[in-house]
Amino acid sequence: MSSLDLAAFRDNPDIGLERGDERDTLVLSMGPQHPSTHGVLRVMLRLDGETVVTAEPEIGFLHTGIEKQAENLFWQQAITVVDRADYLAPLSNSLCYVLAAEQLLGIDNIPPRARVLRVMFTELTRLASHLVWLGTHCLDLGAQSIFFYAFEMRERILSIMEFVTGARMHQSWFRIGGLAIDVPVGFLDTIDDFVARFPERLADMRAIVEKNVIIVDRLVGIGKLTQHEAIDWGLTGPPLRATGIAYDIRRARPYCDYETYDFEVPTQTAGDCYARFVVRLNEMHESWRIIKQARERFPGGPVVIDDRKIVPPPKTEIQHSMEALIHHFKLVSSGFNVPEGHVYQAVESPRGEMGMYVTSAGGNKPWRVRWRPPSFYHTQALKRLAPGNLIADVVAIIGSLDPVFGDVDR
Amino acid sequence: MPESIKPHPERAALAPLIEALTQAAGEHLLEAVAAEDMDEIALRPGGLLAVIDRLRAHGFNHLLDIGGTDHHPLTPRYEISYHLIAIPLGDNLRNPGRLMNLPRIRLRVFPQDLDPVVPSLAGIWPSANWPEREIFDLFGVRFEGHPDLRRLLNPDDFVGYPLRKDFPLRGLERRFVPGGRVGAVPPVKE
Repeated sequence: MSSLDLAAFRDNPDIGLERGDERDTLVLSMGPQHPSTHGVLRVMLRLDGETVVTAEPEIGFLHTGIEKQAENLFWQQAITVVDRADYLAPLSNSLCYVLAAEQLLGIDNIPPRARVLRVMFTELTRLASHLVWLGTHCLDLGAQSIFFYAFEMRERILSIMEFVTGARMHQSWFRIGGLAIDVPVGFLDTIDDFVARFPERLADMRAIVEKNVIIVDRLVGIGKLTQHEAIDWGLTGPPLRATGIAYDIRRARPYCDYETYDFEVPTQTAGDCYARFVVRLNEMHESWRIIKQARERFPGGPVVIDDRKIVPPPKTEIQHSMEALIHHFKLVSSGFNVPEGHVYQAVESPRGEMGMYVTSAGGNKPWRVRWRPPSFYHTQALKRLAPGNLIADVVAIIGSLDPVFGDVDR
Repeated sequence: MPESIKPHPERAALAPLIEALTQAAGEHLLEAVAAEDMDEIALRPGGLLAVIDRLRAHGFNHLLDIGGTDHHPLTPRYEISYHLIAIPLGDNLRNPGRLMNLPRIRLRVFPQDLDPVVPSLAGIWPSANWPEREIFDLFGVRFEGHPDLRRLLNPDDFVGYPLRKDFPLRGLERRFVPGGRVGAVPPVKE
């Protein structure tokens, strides 16, 4: 079956009805305003009755040229636009970018406190992102109450984020060379409170949905993928792990000392929507374990490297040291130069392998920041996953892939 | 750059493969380097399919990403970068220890400047379909053999290739024309 010819569809006033030899098919445009398409996805479905024959996702509605903008900002400034791609997990984006820039600069002495806080906050981000997924995915399937449980918990995480970084959504807290600011007084009590409270809430949420007969009926056996297909379609993260391949960048190519944390990589073997569902629920528990371990370590010391050519000096020093003032002025007015080169850095974002191929031409701005957006490949796989299912199942499949359109369209 | 390059256990295993790949690329090979993060091979588009064939025979089954870069005003101007990993298939895949330090490789393909054309991999990996369309959309690099080479992120009637370095960041004249948009972007100079 060839892909849909959108131009022909536009010219055809007969709302997509096509007479076939045996069965007639109907072309239906699902989205971009459909609630289950999470904002801005449009899927052109060719239907035989209520069964999907072909599906062609149309993307680009949220294209904001983030890659182009990043090329026109200083290395440090670009973190703000990088954050805005995958808007449910902004800190995973900036971590990826920051690690890539640090690799180009040859910085390998990030202070332990900054490394632990990076791990802790990317895991908090993962929890927040998975909670949004859990709430909205179940809402798509018709479950109401779980949404409030999930968003109540997410609100606690966002409060911690706001307390520490000053922003609820786009934290931009990581910097090349460490962190923007240290955590405030009273942070440990907040995180202790969260760590103590979370398992019980997660158990509550699992009790509502995991064995719920409606959810199980809607998800089991829908959108099945084999290992070969998952690899061919470029899937990573939970959709790949749901087919039984424990590929997780945190284990496969560790960064930020992930190799020293004790956590499992949850997998399932069925490869269907329910397997992806359970993988994410289990991942939330593992993230909690990592946060707990990070809290137990929590070393003291600085949160940025001691390099005045990269990190501006503290404000108190600027007030009585001329050299510090010059460094501060240079960093604010023209940034710093990064040696020529290119590097591919991958981190495990809540959605999968988020990679950045960063090229530097030796200047004070990145020459090119190429994303490997996991949601992009997952959305593309709809072409394979949707056909053969009912329209209602397409909703379940989109939800189980958890695409974020800031990430797909950038 | 760091003083010492961290030893990657997968590098040693890749050495014979790199040898085979440079042979497969033949006269199209530009260079084969051990970069800091992974081994990479730079080549002309003519050798791409032969190299991909050899890579697939060695188990590189997961095409992570295809990206574009514009090195303007340097020449060759366009770079299409491919990142691949080899995920072993078989038993014990649920054990993350088996998937540590997987072999990775990067191919950098440099098409010619005036009419950039690269062979498409969409027939080999279905996942290559969209990234190739995206590069066509943003850089104007064509992929020979692509089944459906249309713009992906920008609207179909968009003029110009936004991620080229000579495309302006802002200051485009846009005016509304009933029934369609005309003259959105000045044509890009080659």
